[in-house]
Amino acid sequence: MSASDTAKSGRSSAGEAGVPAGALLVVLMAVVSTVAVLAWPARTAPGRTMWTSARLHYQLYEPIVAEWNQTREPRVNMTLMSLEALERRLLSGFLSGTGCADLLETERRVAARAFTGPLESVGFVDLTDRLKSEGLYEQINAASFSPWTSRGRIFGLPHDVHPVMLGYRADLVEAAGIDVSQIETWDDFVRLMLPLMAERDGDGKPKRYILNLWETQGETIEALILQAGGTFFDEQGRPTLASARNAATIAQIVAWTNGPNRIAAEARDFSASGNRLKLEGYVIASVMPDWMCNIWKNEIPQLKGKVKLMPMPAWEKGGRRTSVWGGTMLGISKTAPDFEELWAFAKNLYLSPEMARALYREGDIVTPVKSLWNDPIYDEPDAYFSGQAKGRMYIDLAPSVPLRASSPYNSIAILAVQDAVVALGIYARQSGKFTVAELEPEALAALAPAQKRLEQLLDRNVFLRESAANDGGTGLSRLAGATEAGVTK
Amino acid sequence: MATPRRAAWGFLAPFFVLFALFTVYPLARAAVLAVQQTYGPGTERFVGLDNFKALAADPLFWKAVRNTTVYTTTTVLIQLPLSLLFAMMLNRPGLRGRAFYRLVFFSPALVGVVFVGMIFGVIFEKRTGLLNQFLHAVIGWDLDFPWMQNYVMPSLVIATLWQYMGYNMIYFLAALQNVPRELTEASEIDGAGPVRRFVSVTWPSIRPVATFVILLSVIGSFQLFELPWVLLNSAAGPDNRGLTVVMYLYQRGFETGDLGYASAIGWMLGMLLVVCAVVQRRLSRGEESV
Amino acid sequence: MNAGSSKVRGWAALVSTHAVLVPAAVLVGAPFVWLVCAALKRNEDFFTSTFLPGGDGFLGVEWGRVTFEHFGRLLFELGLGRAMLNSIFLSSTTAVLATVISAMGGYALAKFEFRGRKLAQGIVLAAIIIPPPLLIAPGFQWLFQLGLLDSFAGLILPAIAPAFGVYLFRQAALSSVPGTLIEAARLDGCGEGRIFFGIALPLMRPMIGAFILLTFLGTWNNFISPQVVMQSPGKFPLAVAIAQLKSTYYQDYGLLMAGTLVSVVPLMMLFLVLQKEFIAGLTSGAVKG
Repeated sequence: MSASDTAKSGRSSAGEAGVPAGALLVVLMAVVSTVAVLAWPARTAPGRTMWTSARLHYQLYEPIVAEWNQTREPRVNMTLMSLEALERRLLSGFLSGTGCADLLETERRVAARAFTGPLESVGFVDLTDRLKSEGLYEQINAASFSPWTSRGRIFGLPHDVHPVMLGYRADLVEAAGIDVSQIETWDDFVRLMLPLMAERDGDGKPKRYILNLWETQGETIEALILQAGGTFFDEQGRPTLASARNAATIAQIVAWTNGPNRIAAEARDFSASGNRLKLEGYVIASVMPDWMCNIWKNEIPQLKGKVKLMPMPAWEKGGRRTSVWGGTMLGISKTAPDFEELWAFAKNLYLSPEMARALYREGDIVTPVKSLWNDPIYDEPDAYFSGQAKGRMYIDLAPSVPLRASSPYNSIAILAVQDAVVALGIYARQSGKFTVAELEPEALAALAPAQKRLEQLLDRNVFLRESAANDGGTGLSRLAGATEAGVTK
Repeated sequence: MATPRRAAWGFLAPFFVLFALFTVYPLARAAVLAVQQTYGPGTERFVGLDNFKALAADPLFWKAVRNTTVYTTTTVLIQLPLSLLFAMMLNRPGLRGRAFYRLVFFSPALVGVVFVGMIFGVIFEKRTGLLNQFLHAVIGWDLDFPWMQNYVMPSLVIATLWQYMGYNMIYFLAALQNVPRELTEASEIDGAGPVRRFVSVTWPSIRPVATFVILLSVIGSFQLFELPWVLLNSAAGPDNRGLTVVMYLYQRGFETGDLGYASAIGWMLGMLLVVCAVVQRRLSRGEESV
Repeated sequence: MNAGSSKVRGWAALVSTHAVLVPAAVLVGAPFVWLVCAALKRNEDFFTSTFLPGGDGFLGVEWGRVTFEHFGRLLFELGLGRAMLNSIFLSSTTAVLATVISAMGGYALAKFEFRGRKLAQGIVLAAIIIPPPLLIAPGFQWLFQLGLLDSFAGLILPAIAPAFGVYLFRQAALSSVPGTLIEAARLDGCGEGRIFFGIALPLMRPMIGAFILLTFLGTWNNFISPQVVMQSPGKFPLAVAIAQLKSTYYQDYGLLMAGTLVSVVPLMMLFLVLQKEFIAGLTSGAVKG
């Protein structure tokens, strides 16, 4: 074939010369949308930016922010975004030094990421001295500062206390004639609630389980460990996972979730299917921090009037009857200008009595500002919880709320402990050992590699080794006694 | 001839300029990062090959490599023959509704990973999930079967199968349609059964496409991250059963801020993929003499 | 072997093929049907019925409980219309620009002899293997230094020089554009530009269609880099907006499914239009190895 023949056949086999119809469509879209985007630009509002990832908070803050914007300078624009997006942007911003929003409301996991490097490079402004000089430090519940305190310096305003109780299906429990005031310890709890598990379903499995707990519910496990008096990190930030106490706790967790005497099952939080299971009464009792009450009210409204709260059963007689779960703080970015104005804004947003009341009324969250705890709102009966004055109940537990670590490795530690629980569960099923006594030794053995891994991670971190105070923990004792300034900005 | 050579560089220029700007420079930065430990701006320490040494001794990294390799081999060994099978079925002459089937099977490749993660999250749920409910009703399967806790890899393989079977099927369909008609007909007349026909006529024709598809699948599978991340709710699953190499890179880089370590992981992955590509090249060159 | 029995055998083979294809299509298509139903159900009905709410209506469905409220919320309350526009803009411009640049590069690599060609080819091949997550952090810092954060350019520019595209177009040029043709055109006195646009590009037409669709698809569903690069909510593409919905409205399954449906439908329509080119393009690129 000659060149021209090939050319002709080539052209004809490709149809008309040029570009396929679909491609033209895309080109058309490109042109039209470019015009549209240029003509309709996305406005970046002037002023300072604030990011938050909690929808509830966003809604609560909106009126206060609006009021601020009307009367004071500078203007603050609040943006709601998903936790993952906030985390990604915060890290990208801090790690590359490009900064991000001026005000950041973040929860524990994300905030701790800022503490991985040397103290001077923490992206949030050190608020310790301001809090002390303005007398705010004494007004706020001391334990609430711990997740935001690194090496003795406080980097955020605390949002909450987050005490924990046990929420249970009062309708089912009282119908069975069980008196919860008899329950003091976890052993009492299991003993008294066991009759509720008598009913079987079509497969011969219990229709109900008395505790909402599973090997992979890392945060619930963390709450139980802290309640039992165990810790994940010491004050210097060194991991303390493999302790006898933690071993006993996870042995108990595995005993509860495995074997023929299993009393716990999974009805996951934050999941539509988990909510359905709770509604069906698949689990009787769930571990409930104050904010969880609000989640239940919004997501399982059908349980109104059927649930009640009781202090957590203690691990030993006279032991702690509460724990802690979650936490949020408001931090000011070092790259933000107008620190004084933003500080005023932050205090106004977080510490005012109006906000405290709104926080409880709309979010069931107890404020960390101790001086506001005598507000009658906390004594109001709550219809969802069968008329209990749950606010007061939570506040009464506040003094016993355990401390939370601020280590950036905390979430890894939780996962590591979770892995240990899973491994212990496998061991239990394979060896047929389902009692706490039998499992304890193996539990310690399961926790050891978790601890080792964390130690290795920490040891690799040259910055924590070099740090001014030579540790990476909360340094709370230093905070309590400190009067002089720490590291300069 | 001066003009064509200049023209060649002219054609390549836009690509190479942008490539240098947005791929090569960050890549060089990543190389520098791999020999450092850093936790933010101005806090960099040169640590030599420490990151790589730590990586070699890191059991989690090797677990990730194991998981990813298992996933890749399973996916390739299951998905590709299946895609080929379906392509052959669709290639049957006289089959009605070919375009319809093509659309249905290809559609899963159109949706984003977030959707795949969401829907398979609902499908694999314990007790209330669609799969367990269906199997329980039909064959008395355990309603509490923990797909996403104990059987993470199988769940991922199934989800990927749904997502990409049709995509690879289209490649194979295109290739099958290029198998010379005369050859297949000739072998039919010769009395060859379907298996003989496949082995001696079809397979040699589509072999280049098959190797291409295999290489693409292997490279893509080794970079698995978003699907398990979405499915397991931004985590690696119990006992890190769903941990993949890229997920570990992301965790190390963005959860502890150790960009140096993360870059080291990235480089290891890159080298692994280079090895795969070279192996594939060797194997396919061996047959190109045909 | 008479004509009748072979006809029966052929018919039986066809039936058995359909017998496999139909259940397979049902299995593959079921999640989509589920998606559409979920987008049209109220949240209370989400768990009470697998597909549409059951009742006394036509086909056993309670048609009165079918609702479009989620779509309304998406459009008016949550501003998904803007996100859709952003996605269309990003995906179409990236697809067009990437295709042009890759076509030029691939054509050059395939059809020209010049020093450094082997090196260039090697670089392109190696670049296909670079795992994108490796570049997120250094890339982000670099974008900031260039002043391209929170801008569409910051997403488009890094995406329009894909090594994979150059590779595909090189294959397409090698297999579809005969060197003799180009020689003849040169002898006729045509400039290189005319040769490219007038001869080579039309011959590579199927790959153009395929690559445009592939790039559009990839950009549309990408959410990791836009999530990091874009800061203002008004610039988020659809994929980011939906991913965010999942976190903040995880309970609102109807809303999530409606959002997902909204992001899937444009792609399906595009695929319907570009189906033939897509397959032809894959053929020209992949078949010749």
